[in-house]
Amino acid sequence: MRVLVSWLRDFVDVTASPDEIAKTMSVRGFAVEGLEHIDWSSPESNIAKADAVIDFEVTGNRPDCMSVMGMAREIATAFNLPMRRPVARGKSSGEEEDGSSLRLASLKAVEKSDIDVIIENGDLCPRYAGAVADVTVGPSPGWMQARLQASGVRPISNIVDVTNYVLLEMGQPMHAFDFSKLEGAQIRVRTAASGESMTTLDGEKRELTDDMLVIADAQRPVAVAGVMGGAASEVADGTTVIVLESACFNPLSVRRTSRKLMLKTEASMRFERGLDPRLPVTAMERACALLETIGAGKARATVVDRYPQRIEPLTLKLRRSKISGLLGTSVPEGDVKRILESLGFTLREATESGWDVTVPTRRVDVTREVDLIEEVARHYGFDKLPSTFPALTFAPPPNDPRIGRARHLRTVMTAAGFSEAMTFGFVASAAAAPFASEGELAPIANPLSENFAVLRPSALPSLVDAVAHNRRREQRDVRLFEVGNRFTRSTGERRSIACAWTGAASLEHWSGGARDVDFFDMKGIVERVGEALRLEVTTDTRRENWLVPGRSAAVLARGERIGVMGQLTPAIAEAHGLPANDAVYVAEIDLDAAENLAPKEDMRIEALPRYPSVTRDISILIDAALSADAVRATARAAAPPTLVQIREFDRYQGKGIPEGKVSLSLRLTFRASDRTLTDAEVHSAMEAIVAALIERHGAVQR
Amino acid sequence: MPDNPAIQGVREAFLAQFPAASSDQALKALHDAFLSRKSGQLTALMKTLSTLAPEERRDFGQAVNTLKTEIETAIDEKRAALEATRQPSGGVDVTLPGRTLPMGRIHPLMRVRRDVEDIFTHMGYEILEGPEVEDDFHNFEALNMPPDHPARDMQDTLYLDAPVAGGTWGAHRFEGGQRGTVPEAQVRAATLLRTHTSAMQIRYMKTFPPPVRIIVPGRVYRRDNLDRSHTPMFQQFEGLVVGEGITLADLKGTLEAMMRALFGEGVKVRLRPSFFPYTEPSAEVDVSCRACGGSGCGTCKQTGWLEILGSGMVHPAVFEAVGYDPDKYTGFAFGMGMERVAMLRYGVDDIRLFYENDLRFLEQFPV
Ligand SMILES: [Zn+2]
Repeated sequence: MRVLVSWLRDFVDVTASPDEIAKTMSVRGFAVEGLEHIDWSSPESNIAKADAVIDFEVTGNRPDCMSVMGMAREIATAFNLPMRRPVARGKSSGEEEDGSSLRLASLKAVEKSDIDVIIENGDLCPRYAGAVADVTVGPSPGWMQARLQASGVRPISNIVDVTNYVLLEMGQPMHAFDFSKLEGAQIRVRTAASGESMTTLDGEKRELTDDMLVIADAQRPVAVAGVMGGAASEVADGTTVIVLESACFNPLSVRRTSRKLMLKTEASMRFERGLDPRLPVTAMERACALLETIGAGKARATVVDRYPQRIEPLTLKLRRSKISGLLGTSVPEGDVKRILESLGFTLREATESGWDVTVPTRRVDVTREVDLIEEVARHYGFDKLPSTFPALTFAPPPNDPRIGRARHLRTVMTAAGFSEAMTFGFVASAAAAPFASEGELAPIANPLSENFAVLRPSALPSLVDAVAHNRRREQRDVRLFEVGNRFTRSTGERRSIACAWTGAASLEHWSGGARDVDFFDMKGIVERVGEALRLEVTTDTRRENWLVPGRSAAVLARGERIGVMGQLTPAIAEAHGLPANDAVYVAEIDLDAAENLAPKEDMRIEALPRYPSVTRDISILIDAALSADAVRATARAAAPPTLVQIREFDRYQGKGIPEGKVSLSLRLTFRASDRTLTDAEVHSAMEAIVAALIERHGAVQR
Repeated sequence: MPDNPAIQGVREAFLAQFPAASSDQALKALHDAFLSRKSGQLTALMKTLSTLAPEERRDFGQAVNTLKTEIETAIDEKRAALEATRQPSGGVDVTLPGRTLPMGRIHPLMRVRRDVEDIFTHMGYEILEGPEVEDDFHNFEALNMPPDHPARDMQDTLYLDAPVAGGTWGAHRFEGGQRGTVPEAQVRAATLLRTHTSAMQIRYMKTFPPPVRIIVPGRVYRRDNLDRSHTPMFQQFEGLVVGEGITLADLKGTLEAMMRALFGEGVKVRLRPSFFPYTEPSAEVDVSCRACGGSGCGTCKQTGWLEILGSGMVHPAVFEAVGYDPDKYTGFAFGMGMERVAMLRYGVDDIRLFYENDLRFLEQFPV
């Protein structure tokens, strides 16, 4: 809301500078978005030379302040000054007049004048005032044009300018119809008939629906109520008689209509927030006075005011104990009364506990006791509040353990060289497609961009984007992870940890040893994540069409699938802008699933071994396709419980090894908790293991 | 008396044994045999001192000491030589770079989030997460924003094509804090992406009776284009305290404590009246500009202040929506953007940097 300081001074003799006004009001609930100093150069203008426009941000609950008068009232309260109001008095003869005289015309309320007003839908239009005036259309005077322009409104003609002037000054939207174009000299406030349409002032043809309130003449709609007038009844150069509209419409109805028509106007913005039902006639009197003042015409001295259900002001209780109870300080009674009365509230000392407060009808935001307390606090000053601390009156419950676990995972991942990424929860449909079937995707109904069209079914597509972003910026070695949520239709919202790794397996060093990341590097990370969650994870071959066959695995814990890992296919890497020949390894683990499988009880330590262990190595020749898991399982099944560990320490294919075979070397560790193992015991255990490997897998011992 | 035969005898005995002593152990035995305070041969020589004529004693004593020094030096030198032969050979260029273990970085927004979680954990708040997808009731209606409320325009919402189940929350509060049944107030059919973490105020209050003291960090979504100061997804903390006698002054004190912890002891905090449908009174909160110390600069548009969060006293209509008695309980709530805090703390002037995940950005933060 752009407010001209000289205009404000018509209403309140504030001597503070524009900067001081801006600074004070910004801590009274009106943030200042801008301040422009103006030097009026036009000689015919009698506005003070040094002036300023303050752009106040008026919050949505304060439609009463979307006007010069409204802001003047707030400023008067803030600076503890009296406020002037427009009054009905005759034009003082011979004197040049402008808006600062704050004159109101005297209009006699009549049942019917040259215009008839019929409200058909009283719910949507509590009040409608119409007045007829004889006019000569032309430009408005310089002072009026200057004020409008400074307030951000383009001058059009004296008639339209007067309606806009009243809108800015008092906050009451008004409209002028060309009387000659109103069929039947009638104003009918009714809902549109379905199929009706009209062309609005902006030249757009609008299709109306039967829930939209319109202003109609005897035949057809001539304005969309509270939103915009119609082109057909527009005041033009040849107009000699006008009908002025000053009304009150249902906020919800105006809002719905405005949204449906996608048409937001100065009028609709005010009506949809709620306007003072007592204002329309005063505004009409002001508009008629201004018509005369600027010599644009003369009202026919009557107004048809349809106001079937008089709206009474609200009376609220304000208890002293509640003021201090909510604010944490007691505001002196003098301040409570001064602030509220200055804002137009009426206080009656009702009981010992407090007051009965009558709320001015323009204050649509004040409906409860707390609203009154806010008014007091706002102008008393938040800076005068003490700083206290809420007493802790109960033992605080524990934090969500997922937060601590995720922190731990972050520590583990960063220690493994991965940096934490944060990406959006939505991705492009094409990016999501490989990671979930179409029926599983959750699209956004009103996405702003194709890039954010569906909720991500996996954190991997956006994480791979982040890898690509780095790859394009000379970062060849990238390790990223993200802890976040993902979404599918069948499982809903789930938490996961995703990681991606491309480039070197270890940092480059002058001593050499550089190698690129491979499957087992990533598997090591997956195992580490498992350990951090107190889960032993295993992998099993699993085909995913977005992973390279043979380098794609399901991640399991306690026999349940909790994730997936492998190398991204070149096609997907390329789709994300990565070079096809860059190996990108990825993994994603469902944290909800993993945490459900993890032990909940505290771990218990095992006694340290008291007897020495014995290790034995064997090398066997087996089918290359045989999994290490199978070999291990066979060995374990054949061994006595003294076998405590099996580790693969070498795997060799090539020279000296038959085609299709592989040489696998295992180191087996035996230990008993109650005795030193004898050679004979270990020997027989080894014999049993080798026999089982030969029997089950056709292994040949080397 | 250097040629005293007794001393000369001991010296010759030492010189005869010394070449063969080529281990630490042998050297120690040799040392003990000659120099031991109790039984060494030199101690024995000194004991003969009293049998000498008084005028001979001084020279004799000196000669024994000379021999003692000679033996000690010989043994020490041989020990050092022996030690030197055992050191691995081949030195290195100690100025070459070390072999660094790779270390990733925590995201700067997470650094901020951890700090805030820790600050409020110390103040006795419960920290918990909520679902990112929500329904209209929890995101808007119960927060005093009925359908068609103009305030909904302030938060341009992203809606889902069809309902999805929201993530679980609060399971730690059931069945003794272990894995357990999820609370009744789970999101069965989410229709939108939450526009603020305030939705969790409603879920929490509907599930648990007062008093309440919680912080809810999490991701929120708005239908915004990406630019220097907007992202369609960003992260917030919600704070909510409800009880008997909670005041606006308590809110002020709490926020000041948080800001001091986040920005340092010298920071000033200012509450400005504002409007949110779910708080009354409402306050925007500013902190003094760090760039200029409050005197006014380009960063703070010459005001000396920077807007940091929105807050207020919980609106009685919100209490009514969750079944709390608004005449008995009061409370305060606040919501703060993690990006805003991180931008101010680390001097980031483009919010998109947080979501590009450029390692050149991330790796500027310490490990
Ligand atoms: Zn500054």
